[in-house]
Amino acid sequence: MKPVAGIGLRSPHLAEIGRDRPATGFLEIHAENYLGGSTAFLTIERLRADYEFSVHAVGLSLGSVDGLDEAHLARVAALVKRLEPACVSDHLSWSVHDGRYFNDLLPLPYTEEALDVVARNIERLQEALGRQVSIENPSCYLGFAHSTLSEPEFLAELVRRSGCGLLFDVNNIVVTAHNLRLDPRDWLSGLPGGAITEYHLAGHAVNDCDGQAILIDDHGSRVGDEVWTLFDDVIRRYGVRPTLVEWDSDIPELAVLLDEAARAGRMIQAAGADAARAA
Amino acid sequence: MTKTRIAIASALAAALVLPVAAQAQGNTEKCYGISKAGKNDCQTATSSCAGTSKKDAQGDAWLSVPKGACEKIVGGKLTAAKG
Amino acid sequence: MPPALRDLQAAFAAQLVGRDSADLASAVVGDSIPADARLRVYRHHVGHSLGAALAATFPTVQALVGDDFFQAMARAFVAREPPTQPVLAEYGVEFPAFVAGYEPAQGLPYLADVARLDWALNVAFHSPATRRLAAADLAAVAVERLPSLTVGLSDGAALIGSKYPIDRIWHASQPGTSTDAVDLAAGRADLLVLRRADDAFFVTLAAGEAAFVAVLIDGNALELAAAAGLQADAAFDLSMAFARLLGLQAFAALQQDGDRKVVKAS
Repeated sequence: MKPVAGIGLRSPHLAEIGRDRPATGFLEIHAENYLGGSTAFLTIERLRADYEFSVHAVGLSLGSVDGLDEAHLARVAALVKRLEPACVSDHLSWSVHDGRYFNDLLPLPYTEEALDVVARNIERLQEALGRQVSIENPSCYLGFAHSTLSEPEFLAELVRRSGCGLLFDVNNIVVTAHNLRLDPRDWLSGLPGGAITEYHLAGHAVNDCDGQAILIDDHGSRVGDEVWTLFDDVIRRYGVRPTLVEWDSDIPELAVLLDEAARAGRMIQAAGADAARAA
Repeated sequence: MTKTRIAIASALAAALVLPVAAQAQGNTEKCYGISKAGKNDCQTATSSCAGTSKKDAQGDAWLSVPKGACEKIVGGKLTAAKG
Repeated sequence: MPPALRDLQAAFAAQLVGRDSADLASAVVGDSIPADARLRVYRHHVGHSLGAALAATFPTVQALVGDDFFQAMARAFVAREPPTQPVLAEYGVEFPAFVAGYEPAQGLPYLADVARLDWALNVAFHSPATRRLAAADLAAVAVERLPSLTVGLSDGAALIGSKYPIDRIWHASQPGTSTDAVDLAAGRADLLVLRRADDAFFVTLAAGEAAFVAVLIDGNALELAAAAGLQADAAFDLSMAFARLLGLQAFAALQQDGDRKVVKAS
């Protein structure tokens, strides 16, 4: 896919997009919302004539020590086969334990043991899909004392072992860095930038946790200034890629979301032009 | 073929040629449209860091009479749940 | 000795459902935001997001009882019947039965039936678009064979019966509705929930129609269904009822012989 800016397709906008076909770079869906062959899925299939798609899974639980849920994996694989999306991704996190699904992106300790587990699960996923998948850095609210690797070191090793790509969520690193007292630019310098296949942008909330500010990845507002600034740094450092604006709570009018994506698109163009001039 | 069976057969056959307008009578409003398709997302609820463990422990104790459209439902034997 | 990943995930999962463990808290880096406060963000989000998913699946129940009551009821349900797979649109099949037994909701005896209606609409919406039976498909069937024909409901269709007027309750619960009040004395309602091209909906059936459909759902022939319709309501009009149901595309297309073999074999 070209390095363009797209939007996360959310159901309140589905009818309007189906009717008006507004201009945007691509549409990303959450795999778990379209596995049933529902009327919504048929709408998505019709949109394929006008849009490129990417499929973002939220429930594969790549960090589960017991491996992937094969039944769920088969359904995701069938969806990917039908939609032929430009990119497929899920998160560096876990959400299933002992047959119970927690509907959250739960944090992993960054250890050799976890690396073995996640790499094995990614390999199984890529085998089932017959293609590369990209792994997204999660928003973290805690870190584990026994982690022996940094998050970028962990991601780099996953890329090396499994050949996966990286989905770099710029908002998530701003959230994680604040909450875990990291420097986002230190974090960035450890990332294997060449493996990045897609960027995510979103808004976050600043909340009070027992008197301390904690950033919450609520996808409920426009992209923040700090995230835009970091995004500009990142695309000038690692190059432009397809970039997605996500909005999941207090979902605004479609025009607002398209406007955010258009801003990302202008930054991509400017960075691309500067890179071409420098070359 | 019994008389009843013949009557049933012809009633069913008659249904096949009734005008479409008569056939399609029913509800035409949308009950559950595509705007309700998405239930999986990848955000964190802003209320997640709200408060301390106090709210966890409240349980059902603060539940009183439900407050919603149920106020419109009258008659029968409606006794409000004790708060 | 750092915890093994398996043990860490087990302890984390236990924490999410309310069982704190000192070992888990000590594995988390705490600072000015202590470890237990950090862990609580995840616990709260899991509870909140599953409650929100249930509210999306059971919007009429939520409208009836209000947000606070619904969320408390949802959390009690989540604790007893957590999701076992990630597709949240498929989560909540046990919720209507849970509502029926939920002590604080005992004052609303119709609530569990409304939950069944919400669930049926959700299932219908997410069901696949399979072929429906049209009147024209039956034109080729000899008239004398029609009574012995078995027709099944289309994918996603469901018959929801209640001794309460849940159709009127549903309408009164819609946002922006002008309905003033629904009298429970209006009595029972039988609703047929169906999938349409881009949504799911329901129609209210007369007593004879409901009996007719119920017998067909059990896999019986039209002849037996017609008898049941008449028995339920002496004024049951078989032609009108069958025409109405065909017009609503309530029936699945007749199976070809080949398909039938496959079905039997499975």
